[in-house]
Amino acid sequence: MSLLEIRDLNVSFRTKASPTKVVSNLSLDIKESEVFGLVGESGCGKSLTALSIMGILPPNAYAEGLINFNGKDLLMLDRESLRRLRGREIAMIFQEPMTSLNPVLTIGYQISEVMTTHLGLSKKDAFDRAVDLLRDVKIPSPEIRVKEYPHQMSGGMRQRVMIAMAVACNPSLLIADEPTTALDVTIQSQILELLQKLREERKMSILLITHDLGIIAENAKKAAIMYAGRIVELAEAGELFNNPGHPYTMGLLDSLPKEKGKPLKPIPGTVPRPDKLPQGCKFSDRCRFVVPPCRTEEPELKEVDGRHPVRCIRAAEIKWPY
Amino acid sequence: MALLKVQSLKKHFPVKKAFGETAQWLKAVDGIDFSVDENKVFVLVGESGCGKSTVARLVLRLITPTSGRVLFDGKDIFGLDGDSLKAFRKSVQIVFQDPFASLNPRKTVFDTISEPLKIHRITEKKNMKDACAELLKKVGLGTDIMNRYPHEFSGGQRQRICIARALAVNPKIIVADEPLSALDVSIQAQIINLLQDLRKETKIAFLFISHDLKVVHYFSDTVAVMYLGKILEHAKTEDLFMEPLHPYTILLLSSAPKVKTEAFSVQRSAFSDKKLQTPNSERQPDIGEVPSPIHIPSGCPFHPRCPKRFEPCDKIIPELKEAKGRLISCHLWNPY
Ligand SMILES: Nc1ncnc2c1ncn2[C@@H]1O[C@H](COP(=O)(O)OP(=O)(O)O)[C@@H](O)[C@H]1O
Ligand SMILES: Nc1ncnc2c1ncn2[C@@H]1O[C@H](COP(=O)(O)OP(=O)(O)O)[C@@H](O)[C@H]1O
Ligand code: SF4
Ligand SMILES: [Mg+2]
Ligand SMILES: [Mg+2]
Repeated sequence: MSLLEIRDLNVSFRTKASPTKVVSNLSLDIKESEVFGLVGESGCGKSLTALSIMGILPPNAYAEGLINFNGKDLLMLDRESLRRLRGREIAMIFQEPMTSLNPVLTIGYQISEVMTTHLGLSKKDAFDRAVDLLRDVKIPSPEIRVKEYPHQMSGGMRQRVMIAMAVACNPSLLIADEPTTALDVTIQSQILELLQKLREERKMSILLITHDLGIIAENAKKAAIMYAGRIVELAEAGELFNNPGHPYTMGLLDSLPKEKGKPLKPIPGTVPRPDKLPQGCKFSDRCRFVVPPCRTEEPELKEVDGRHPVRCIRAAEIKWPY
Repeated sequence: MALLKVQSLKKHFPVKKAFGETAQWLKAVDGIDFSVDENKVFVLVGESGCGKSTVARLVLRLITPTSGRVLFDGKDIFGLDGDSLKAFRKSVQIVFQDPFASLNPRKTVFDTISEPLKIHRITEKKNMKDACAELLKKVGLGTDIMNRYPHEFSGGQRQRICIARALAVNPKIIVADEPLSALDVSIQAQIINLLQDLRKETKIAFLFISHDLKVVHYFSDTVAVMYLGKILEHAKTEDLFMEPLHPYTILLLSSAPKVKTEAFSVQRSAFSDKKLQTPNSERQPDIGEVPSPIHIPSGCPFHPRCPKRFEPCDKIIPELKEAKGRLISCHLWNPY
């Protein structure tokens, strides 16, 4: 059964002229205890999708559609119910932990607060649990570190603290938005390993947002590739990389350096701004397979020949590797 | 002869001390040696804070070393002045990570690119437009953008403008400090191709700083792996990726997430993932984080995190010595 079901999610910004849509008709399902990857280059709408689920969009943005979490439509919930859900059933970690940690409070205080608020624990119990949580996220000497302030810790340690806070109430969904982008590779692999361990132990689902295809390949069961606010391809991770169906996915794979000295095949052009998208297929102005019909009508995300869903009218003809 | 030669280079920064404390030093660069030859790409790779940018700033003569030398064309760059300094400034150019911060927002593309041409009196005024057009073409930009401002361009386009500015003076070497890190994957590939083309068409050498191992493998001839201000392994790129030997290099290579696909493994020959999975390079259990460069561990600086450490490692500093056709600083490879 799916824990989270998103159907036709649209996110737009109010502007003086007409609203700018930055996420368009996005649908996906996340099953219990699985890692679902959301991949795409900067500005494609990954974070706004996550913020819609959390119900914390910026004030000038609004979401429409259906976000069904455990039988509740999150977009219809009142503020108070949403607040209770957040942190308790759904939690989120960000690229820069410092933005969500309070610099003048000890990390022990901040972790305990989550549990006194949501679980009604006494201060003493919550503080003891905070030490256990720090141990769970593999922070050395947790009894000492629990009394420290965020600035006394490295970036990797702060991210562990964020993870400890996020899993404090045993949420069933953790949204991790570029959780390792600011970290070095050796720390990145430690954090990803930790997330996998916690997911397994706690039967927690993870929505893993990243721009790094390698992270998805190694960590996600299923993944969606986003371009210009749309999902353009959605598949099991292995399938996505071995049998890609969308020219954008192929272009991303082609952009990775492979054989030494052999010229890369980059995607030409640049990512268009959300208010300046081309007609028809949003990738049509950069696509090597473009034909005139691509430029008139936007393709749907659909399965072709029983394969996984792809948003391209030529999906049946284009073969990889070409 | 090497174009650029770095000898026993050190840069220690004083750390503010509280009253009554003894002075402390942050050893950002702690005695390194390397050289860059004409038309070659030499890479410094390592985690943030290991001293890469400090090396770049030393080599560009933006800061002075605590000790050691930097030779360019055989001459110590810190002894240069007058014309010889001007010639050095012309021969060594820089491309930074952030193309947004490194272009003046109030200057047009033409102003930006023609400035070095004027300063170094390379082009006569009447030929300036043509010279700029030529440079823009070289970096894959249209010549119709000359009167536009940086904010009108994407990150990739700005990085091309920075490269055009660097090329304007016909440099012998370009120091590129993480020039791709701020760019999206699809744009990174465009810039890598541009740099490859430049290598084919000119004799420019690169001192390239990166933490992206895919790019390092693809683009470089020689690699030095840095850790806490020291070089731990220094090898031909092929050798390093085929068979990383230093425990830290192995940790670094095994930590980088990889896309493994059938289509790729057919195409890959040299950089085959199978080769990265030789018995001594399986994913390493990693212990802890990089210590502070103010308190560098005794003995081998990597020993607190090293899965292979043994008796001498916390006592004796391993020297960077030849082993298996490369330089390694590790007691496993250089019995003390
Ligand atoms: N506060 C904002 N006001 C206006 N536009 C915004 C705002 N935040 C984001 N956007 C736009 O929405 C798009 C999607 O943003 P985001 O979801 O943050 O992308 P990603 O996380 O994939 O990098 C971007 O093109 C961005 O320009
Ligand atoms: N001007 C400075 N004063 C004091 N410390 C510095 C200065 N510049 C760099 N450092 C320190 O030197 C170390 C190496 O920095 P840097 O060369 O920027 O590393 P990298 O480029 O490899 O990330 C870091 O610990 C950094 O904080
Ligand atoms: S010298 Fe010892 S601690 Fe250092 S890398 Fe080699 S084995 Fe590991
Ligand atoms: Mg984002
Ligand atoms: Mg740096």
